[in-house]
Amino acid sequence: METESNTAELASSPLEIGGLAGVFGTSDHKNLGRLYIYFGLTGGILAFVLNMLVRFERLDISTIGVFDFGSSNQFFQTWSLSRTSLLFFCVLPLLVGLATYLVPLQLGAPSLSFPRAASLAFWAWLIGILIHVVTVFADGGLGVPEPVSQFAQGMDPEATELSMLSIAMVVIALLLATICVIATIISQRPKGMTLFEVPLFSWSMLVAGGIWVLALPVWLSNLVISWVDFQGNDALRYGNVENIWDQLSWLWSQPMIFAFAIPLLGIAGDILPVSAGVPQRRYRLQQVAIGALGVLSFGAFAQPFFNPDVADQAVFVTMGLLVVVPIFIVMGGLADTAKQGKPIISAHLILAVVGVLSLFIASVLSIFHVSGAALGAVQEIDDDWLNGLISWLRDVQGTVIATAVMEHVLVAAVIGSVAGLYYWAPKIFGCRLNRKVGILAALAFLGGLMLSGGSNAINGILDEGDEVFRSSAYDGVWETDGVEFLNILGVVGSMLLLAGAALVLLDIVVSVLLDKGDVTDANDPWGGHTLEWATDSPPPAGNFLIPPVVDSERPLLSQVVMGGEEA
Amino acid sequence: MNMVTTNLPAAPPPRARSLLVATGFGVTGVLMYFGGLFGIYLRERSLVRSDGGTWIPEKAHIELTPPGMIIWTLLISVVVMQWSVYSIKRDDRQHALLAVGTTLLMGAMVLVQHGWQLSQMNLVADEGPTTAATLIYAIVGSYMAALVIGMIFIALMGFRALAGQYSSRQTDGIVAASLYWYSLVFIYFIIWIAVFIAK
Repeated sequence: METESNTAELASSPLEIGGLAGVFGTSDHKNLGRLYIYFGLTGGILAFVLNMLVRFERLDISTIGVFDFGSSNQFFQTWSLSRTSLLFFCVLPLLVGLATYLVPLQLGAPSLSFPRAASLAFWAWLIGILIHVVTVFADGGLGVPEPVSQFAQGMDPEATELSMLSIAMVVIALLLATICVIATIISQRPKGMTLFEVPLFSWSMLVAGGIWVLALPVWLSNLVISWVDFQGNDALRYGNVENIWDQLSWLWSQPMIFAFAIPLLGIAGDILPVSAGVPQRRYRLQQVAIGALGVLSFGAFAQPFFNPDVADQAVFVTMGLLVVVPIFIVMGGLADTAKQGKPIISAHLILAVVGVLSLFIASVLSIFHVSGAALGAVQEIDDDWLNGLISWLRDVQGTVIATAVMEHVLVAAVIGSVAGLYYWAPKIFGCRLNRKVGILAALAFLGGLMLSGGSNAINGILDEGDEVFRSSAYDGVWETDGVEFLNILGVVGSMLLLAGAALVLLDIVVSVLLDKGDVTDANDPWGGHTLEWATDSPPPAGNFLIPPVVDSERPLLSQVVMGGEEA
Repeated sequence: MNMVTTNLPAAPPPRARSLLVATGFGVTGVLMYFGGLFGIYLRERSLVRSDGGTWIPEKAHIELTPPGMIIWTLLISVVVMQWSVYSIKRDDRQHALLAVGTTLLMGAMVLVQHGWQLSQMNLVADEGPTTAATLIYAIVGSYMAALVIGMIFIALMGFRALAGQYSSRQTDGIVAASLYWYSLVFIYFIIWIAVFIAK
């Protein structure tokens, strides 16, 4: 079956607007998707640099001086910015960018729903995140941990207020972009494509987008309350600078953090069957599992600031225990598919496998994180050593194991996005990215996560506190050689993570911007199964001149009927 | 000239209901936002009361007349907004636009009543900021912002209807605007009960 479209010759010549007007005025989903990807990768570099600075500081926080942050508050600003930038400047824009580009193509749609709203969302996001980064460097940020007074140690109230408003702008923009994507999935599917035939990446974006739309507004309400209370210098509680981050931190904690890695499962589910040359096994089960992960990752209720006992409550513990199940089911489905065919080893396949494995490790760590509360709930336990174990497991909850879970999930999402970039690069950029660089990046991410995330997990067991910006986090563990050694490994890991992101960015610069990429068979180099591979690379204006009609979730592998005729 | 209607091409299918779907997601987001605010408000009030404290500052004046007027205005606006949907479904653009304009007028009235109420409440003037004042300002202020967004949405859809974009074949814009408006009325109903009646 041919996968090339006849759209190029049939398409009317589009109105090309080049230069800056073309960049700033574009509402084409393909241009917007590329812009998200470029800036998302740049944001990833910033996030991993900040993460590396934090890891260096953790080598010897007592002196506050490895990088001479000047004060614990400046260290906290760096620490919190590393989290906000990893989520809002890297993971979400990469995922939204991929979805903005690919969802209309996977659905055979001519465009994203509400292209002008999508354009507005992109520029609002970019301006908002840049303002946020600048204000944090200008002594703003989302609070301080240990203020002597409300604005002691150089905190600037105006910069702090602008930090809060700009991050609100970022969240609203990303919500708008997400709604554009999921409205496209619901309303622009071609004839014959029910939700059960939607490609797995689009399906996973629908699930993830739904959870984001449910949870991010709640986070926004926390932020607005803080901002209202923050007005003036006599904030009572919510706007008190030492409380602001505490109200917002649940977004980076389990179970909510898993919602940001859901699309990774969809990306892997699109890549692996194509690499193996066989249809995805148990497609519906994969969809159900991805949906279940969405349900289990809705964490807007788990706000320790307002509900300090949440970590011991049944819903929280159950979600923490069950989150591994859907991930395990998806992994099983992928393994079963791989077994049916002969997977061709490629950079995107390796990246996808590394990403899914990282997410799986995160879910196992999540179980460990809540296991103390889970075991403690069994009232019949009356055994000294078992009670000791439960007590020890409960203590694990306040340690850097929480950071390890967050790090594994978000880095897994980054790796998944990069896997998607290498897989869909011919469609997005018109050329392949360098296979060897991709594999090298995968190894760097894998090594970095093992060292950085792994050291956090073990340091958690050794009682290093999760709030590493407080000296109290190290009480009792200062003299532990293991903690110090593992923090050195963490530094190496953070450098490897940065190297992985830098390699990907470098590859895009060389292959795409400097035109060194391989353009051979760019329309469909992998023998893709889904509709995006049925059009040219990059697709023409309107994507498909004749709306495709499909009858399965892998129309190009089984059969695709274009405009009523067999293609 | 003979016109044979059977030779005319078939009418194009109605456009996908993207706007309605997106509005549904938007409304969900707005409901979750206010759900977050209400959750915090009710929890904090409950904590203060269980400690024997006073939630609303003693010198504050929260009278029920303005919220009562607001809820009645909004309830009437539901009927009026539904009138616009009813009219556009019957290609009665004149009455649809009349209903849209009336709804906008009622929205403006609600804004004015909110502004007046906030100026009269004396929430922080005598006793300084309190937790209750912060949360009430956050809720009411957010509601006013959501109301302004709703009025812009309705006005935009009204202009589109005026330009002929919406008719009995394509009612999405007006229906979507009404959906958002009804959700605002529902949210105010919760504010009315939780913040003002059960203060």
